[in-house]
Amino acid sequence: MKRMLKTAILSSALMMGVGIAGPAMAQDDSIYIPNLAYRTGPFAATGTPLMNGQRDYITLLNERDGGLNGVKLDYDECETGYNTEKGVECYEKTKARAVVTQPWSTGITLQVLPKSNVDKIPILAPGYGFSPMADGKVFQWAYNPPSSYWDGASMILKNISDGNLDSLKDKKIAFLHLDHPFGKEPIPLLEVLAEKHGFELVPIPVGLTEMQNQSAQWLQIRRERPDFVVMWGWGAMNAGAITEAVKTKYPMDQFVGVWWSGHDGDLKLVGEQGKGYRSISWSVPNSEAPLMADIKKYVVDAGKSQINQSEGEFDSVFYQRGLMISVILVEGIKAAQEEFDVRTPSPEQLRWGLENINLDEARLKELGADGMLVPFSTSCSNHTGHGGGWMLQWDGAKFVKASDLLTPDRAEIEPLELEKAKEYAEANAPWPVNEECKM
Amino acid sequence: MEFLNDVLVQPFADMAAAPDFLLQVLWEGLVGGVLYALIALGFVLIYKSSRIFNFAQGIMVVFAALTLVGLYEKGVPALLALPLTLVVMLILAMTIERVVLRPLVNQPDIILFMATIGITLFLIGFGELIFGGENKVMITEQLFIPTGSIVFEPFGGFVSIEEKDLTAVIGAMVLVAALLVFLNKSKIGRAIRALGDDHQAALSVGISLSTIWVIVWFIAGVIALATGIVWGARAGVSFALEVIAFKALPVLMLGGLESVMGAIIGGLAIGILEKVFEIYWGQPLLGGNTEAWFAYMLALLVLLFRPQGLFGEKIIERV
Repeated sequence: MKRMLKTAILSSALMMGVGIAGPAMAQDDSIYIPNLAYRTGPFAATGTPLMNGQRDYITLLNERDGGLNGVKLDYDECETGYNTEKGVECYEKTKARAVVTQPWSTGITLQVLPKSNVDKIPILAPGYGFSPMADGKVFQWAYNPPSSYWDGASMILKNISDGNLDSLKDKKIAFLHLDHPFGKEPIPLLEVLAEKHGFELVPIPVGLTEMQNQSAQWLQIRRERPDFVVMWGWGAMNAGAITEAVKTKYPMDQFVGVWWSGHDGDLKLVGEQGKGYRSISWSVPNSEAPLMADIKKYVVDAGKSQINQSEGEFDSVFYQRGLMISVILVEGIKAAQEEFDVRTPSPEQLRWGLENINLDEARLKELGADGMLVPFSTSCSNHTGHGGGWMLQWDGAKFVKASDLLTPDRAEIEPLELEKAKEYAEANAPWPVNEECKM
Repeated sequence: MEFLNDVLVQPFADMAAAPDFLLQVLWEGLVGGVLYALIALGFVLIYKSSRIFNFAQGIMVVFAALTLVGLYEKGVPALLALPLTLVVMLILAMTIERVVLRPLVNQPDIILFMATIGITLFLIGFGELIFGGENKVMITEQLFIPTGSIVFEPFGGFVSIEEKDLTAVIGAMVLVAALLVFLNKSKIGRAIRALGDDHQAALSVGISLSTIWVIVWFIAGVIALATGIVWGARAGVSFALEVIAFKALPVLMLGGLESVMGAIIGGLAIGILEKVFEIYWGQPLLGGNTEAWFAYMLALLVLLFRPQGLFGEKIIERV
């Protein structure tokens, strides 16, 4: 009996030991990368290929290289359904081990932003979030490379005006947007530019329950007869808008969307009828790139991917953009590892890494992703990089590159960015700023 | 003065100035209204027979449409995929009755309501697992639904009517007529109504609760499939379809939870009025997107005067 008791105590102690040591060892040997994903709900059509891409690049590094500099990357998704409250719950749930937060919605980003100063975990929001986050001195913990929404709006206007915004004078631009923090994001800049260059801006909001039935919005477009329609849509809103545009017979070459409104799946619904529709993008799919060959070999063909091959997801804009988002994150982690000579950088060390990303053309080529992402670099004062973007155009079956590299008009954007960043800091005082950054 | 002009005069002047545009607005409102009525019907049927407010009606629309498209993608011919989807909806109805409802007989309404939330969450996860989250193209042409448009030129302008919208309106009318005949003339229909009136009295005359529940949930599944095809043909089949169920709530408030006629008239009224209000008052005066709240305001106004809705039954409890 005594012996049995001893054995029981010993085995319990051992089990407890393993239980305690297990996670600790796992923490030492891997870098935990949570992703506040949305594979369900009304925005799942946008989210699924993006998350697949993010996941697959991490899988590639683990499978091909044994991780990053010998350290396994522990990618983990917490499902938010693109819901802000659930997103905040996911942030709280994952923050203890997280080296980074990827909030995946402007609404969640805005909620998590003040928490980042306290928790000291970097927020990485590539191509989304709050545009003034570009001001790294004010938003020390937030990063939105390689282009912000305001950069995107500026590039679209430059493109439709052939580089001369004054030529838009007396023209009418309808701004069709999701009635959500994301959709409203570029309005402050567009209002400033409308006043400066003399064009009329007609904001047309689309509510969550109207995403699939935008007949009222497109009746307004029919009545207003705008010269251009600029769309800031997400998820099901894009498909709803594009099908209504076809129905209204709005000229597709006068219809331009932000990068989240350029999803193959949405355009496939209208196919040939959507020909001419454009979307600004900071990534371009290139299935022939060496990186894609590796993804195919080590991830897709090895059965480790969740992509839907029958629907051509591998070649899609969003899947390959998801890959690029993980490329950006991994470059930040790698920079931190090398700078601090550590295997598993802390969130604070990663913050330095994200401020010192240098994804120039040479580095992209080295990664096998030449031409798939706009080249950019970040610094302590510039958390966006402002790499610019290309115009993609739907040719009836797929998106193709339809412009040279476009760049935002920083002279017009930067003063507004600094002003709004300052306003934000004052409204949320006391707000710590990075005094050490002298750039 | 200018404000009064904007509210009371200008909208009507705009309507008179472009009557073709007004016709287009009314048509779009009618199509929207028919679709709202369809969703509301699903709620009404289940509520009538079991006093359950079925929170899962929205996800049933998604599930039915995804099953149809999913089967087609797996190589099943469209005309075979349609009856097969109905079989899936029947199996779903039987499973819900056996696993969820039967163990909860005689439980308070709120428990049954919570159970339908559980069904919703299950179907979201299960659907995503089976079909994925991507937007899928509805097999409109394969189901022989016309996809062209008919253009009229009244008053020197033009009105464009999508053939698939026209098909939806006609299809919905046929479905509703068939449903009304079924409910009023058939034996099972009378049993459903009897169960709705008084559970215990219906049981005492030998009406089987579980059979009726399966039938009602199956009919709600058929309506969900019809709704899914119609909405899916407009902007693809995705989990976003679930959101449109919220549009049925003010319809139910307006028409009454127990009335098939209420769902139809409520749906049509909300569809047309919200569109007219949005175009002539909402967009010029309030910055647009009034459709998000207009229907609720209208329903609230009706509830002030008729708490049971326009066609709901007045509940009198004697103590």
